Amino acid sequence: MISHMPPGLIMILAAFLLPVIPHVWRQIYMLGAIALSAYGLFLGAGTHLVWTVLGLDLILYQADALSLPFAIIFHLAAALNVIYSWHDRDWQQHCASLSYAGAAIAALHAGDLVSLFVWWEATAVTSVFLILASGTERARKAAMRYLLFQVTSGVLLLAGAAILASTSGDIRFTKMDLGDAATWLIFIAFGIKAAFPFLNGWLQDAYPEATPTGTVALSAFTTKLAIYALARGFPGTDILIWIGAAMTALPVFFAVIENDLRRVLAFSLNNQLGFMVVAVGIGTELALNGAVAHAFVHIIYKALLFMSMGAVLHQVGTIKASELGGLYKKMPFTMVCCIIGAMSISAFPLFSGFVAKSLTMSALGDAGIIWAYFVLLFASAGVLEHSGIKIPYFAFFAHDSKIETGEAPIGMRVAMGIAAFLCVGIGVFPSLLYSILPYAVDYHPYDAGHVTSQMQLLIFAMLAFVVLVRLKLYPPEIPSVVLNSDWFYRRLAPMVGLPLLRMVMLVWSGLLQQMRGLVNAIWDRLDRIMHSPLAGPTVSGRAVLIQAGLLTLLLLIAYAAAG
Amino acid sequence: MSTPSSKSPSDLQRLGGIFTKALLGIAIVLFGLEFFIHRHGVVSAEESFMFPALYGFLAFLFIVQVGKWLRLMIMRKEDYYD
Repeated sequence: MISHMPPGLIMILAAFLLPVIPHVWRQIYMLGAIALSAYGLFLGAGTHLVWTVLGLDLILYQADALSLPFAIIFHLAAALNVIYSWHDRDWQQHCASLSYAGAAIAALHAGDLVSLFVWWEATAVTSVFLILASGTERARKAAMRYLLFQVTSGVLLLAGAAILASTSGDIRFTKMDLGDAATWLIFIAFGIKAAFPFLNGWLQDAYPEATPTGTVALSAFTTKLAIYALARGFPGTDILIWIGAAMTALPVFFAVIENDLRRVLAFSLNNQLGFMVVAVGIGTELALNGAVAHAFVHIIYKALLFMSMGAVLHQVGTIKASELGGLYKKMPFTMVCCIIGAMSISAFPLFSGFVAKSLTMSALGDAGIIWAYFVLLFASAGVLEHSGIKIPYFAFFAHDSKIETGEAPIGMRVAMGIAAFLCVGIGVFPSLLYSILPYAVDYHPYDAGHVTSQMQLLIFAMLAFVVLVRLKLYPPEIPSVVLNSDWFYRRLAPMVGLPLLRMVMLVWSGLLQQMRGLVNAIWDRLDRIMHSPLAGPTVSGRAVLIQAGLLTLLLLIAYAAAG
Repeated sequence: MSTPSSKSPSDLQRLGGIFTKALLGIAIVLFGLEFFIHRHGVVSAEESFMFPALYGFLAFLFIVQVGKWLRLMIMRKEDYYD
C-alpha cells in the first residue's frame, strides 16, 4: 500500500508527528520517513495512482526516466539536511523542511497540471517557515515577499491549467508548445520558480535571510523542481537558450560585489540554473541529460557550499565577507569541505561539476549555437570568481579577522563530509551519474584535450585573481546592499506608486469638495424658494420639501400606470 | 588553534605565496602540454594557441572591472531597505 502512495506524501504525513517526538529520536524518525518514501521509488516507471474527481483524472503517482534522477537527489538532499540540522531542537523547522522536501518530491510524480499545482503551492507554504524561523523583522518581510512570488507562480500555473481544461479537456503534464495564453501562463509560472531574469528577486532576497539550516533546504528543492518542470513541459523551446544564457552571465557581476556570502551563493545559484535552462532550451538528448546531470550534482555541491557558510554563520554569527577572514585554522574541516564544493561548482576535472557541465557544453557545440557556447564559457570563469574563489577566500583566508571560534557541531560536519565525498566520487566515477540519466549516455568527459582546455580556463582565471590581489586591484569587501531586481518592487513601486496614489487621493478629495459645494448651492437656492415663494404657502423645512417631491413623483407614476 | 594571532598575517602571506607558486607551476605545465595535446574546439579560434587560458584570464579581469563599475551604480548602504 505504502509503495503505491506518491513518494514524498509519506514525508508530509510524517511531519505531523514531529512536535511530539523528542529531540534526536526526531532526526532518526525523519530519516526513516525519507527512507520509506524512497522505497516507493522501487515501483519503477509507469502510472501507479490515478484519482478521478470532478471528471478530471488526477495522476498522483507517475514515474519515468526524467523524474527518477530528480527523485533520487531530492531524497538524498532531504536526508543530508536532516543530518546537517542534527543539533537543532526547533521542531517547527524540521516540520517545515521535511514537508517541504516531501511536497517537492510529490510534485515530481504529478502526472497532471492540477496535481502539480497542489504540490507546487505546498512547497511554497511549507518552505516559507524556514525563512520565518530566523525570527528577525528583516526575515519576516523577506518571507512575505517570497510567499507573494511563490503563490503568484502557483496561481499562474492553475490559470494555465484551467484554460487547458476548458479548451481541450486535457490536463496531463506533457511537452507543450509555447504559443497560446495557457502555455505562456504555465511557462511564466515555471519561470518564476526557476528565477528567470527580472523574476529572480525573491531568490537573492529571501534565501540568505533563512536560518543556517533552512537555506540549505531551500537551495535544493524549489528551483530544481522548476528545472524539472521546464524539462518536462518545454524541452527544445528556443527562447530558453536566450533566457538561460542571460541567467548564467548577469548574476556573475552582482556576485562580485555582494558582501553577504550566502547572498553571493544565491547569485551563484541563479547562474547555475542558467546552465540548466540553456540545456533544456537546446532540447536534444545529450542536452537534457546535461540539464538533469547538472541539477543532480548542483544540488550536492550547492548544498555543500551553503552548509559550509551555514556552519560559519552558526559558529561566528555573521556571514559578511567584510567581517570574516582567516578562519582556516579555526574551522579546517569546514574549510576543506568548502573548497571541495568550490572546486566542484567551478568544474575542476575530477569533481562533479566537470562531468555534468561538459554534457551541456558539448550539446551546445553539437547544436552549433556558438554565441551561447561562449557566453557559458564566460560564465564558467564567473562561477570560478564568485563561488570558486570569493567564498572560500573571504571566509577562510583574506585577512585575519581575529575571530575566536571552533568547528561546527558534529552533525553539520558529517553532512558536509558526505556531500564532499559525493562531489569527488561523482567526479571520479561519472558513470554512476550517467547510468541514471533519462537517455542512454555514450560520453567520455576525460579526454586529454577537454581536460587541458578546462584547466587552462580555470588556472589562468585564478592567476588573474592572484595578479589583482597582489596589485591590490581586487575590490575590497564593503558593508553594503547590492540592488537587484527586487528593487523594482521594494523601492521603485513605492517611489512611483505612493506619489501616484497621493495624486489620485488629492483629485478625489477635490472632486468631493466640488460636489459638496454644488449640493450646498442647490440647497441654498431651494431654501430661498421655500422661504419666499412666488405664490402659495412657505415650506417649513428641507424634509418636508423632499417628502412633497417624493409624493409628487409617486402621484405622477400612479397616473402614468393608471393611464 | 593556539597560534598567536599576531603570527597569523604572516601565515596567510606564506600560504598566499605557496598558492601562487603552485598556480604558476600548473600554468607552466599547461603551457608545455599545449605543444603535445590537440584540443578540440567548437570553432577553429578555440583551437588556437592557449585560447582557453587567455579567455579565462580576460573574462576574470572583465568581470571584476564591471563589478567595480557596477558598485558605483547599484551599491547602497546596508540599511537602504530598512
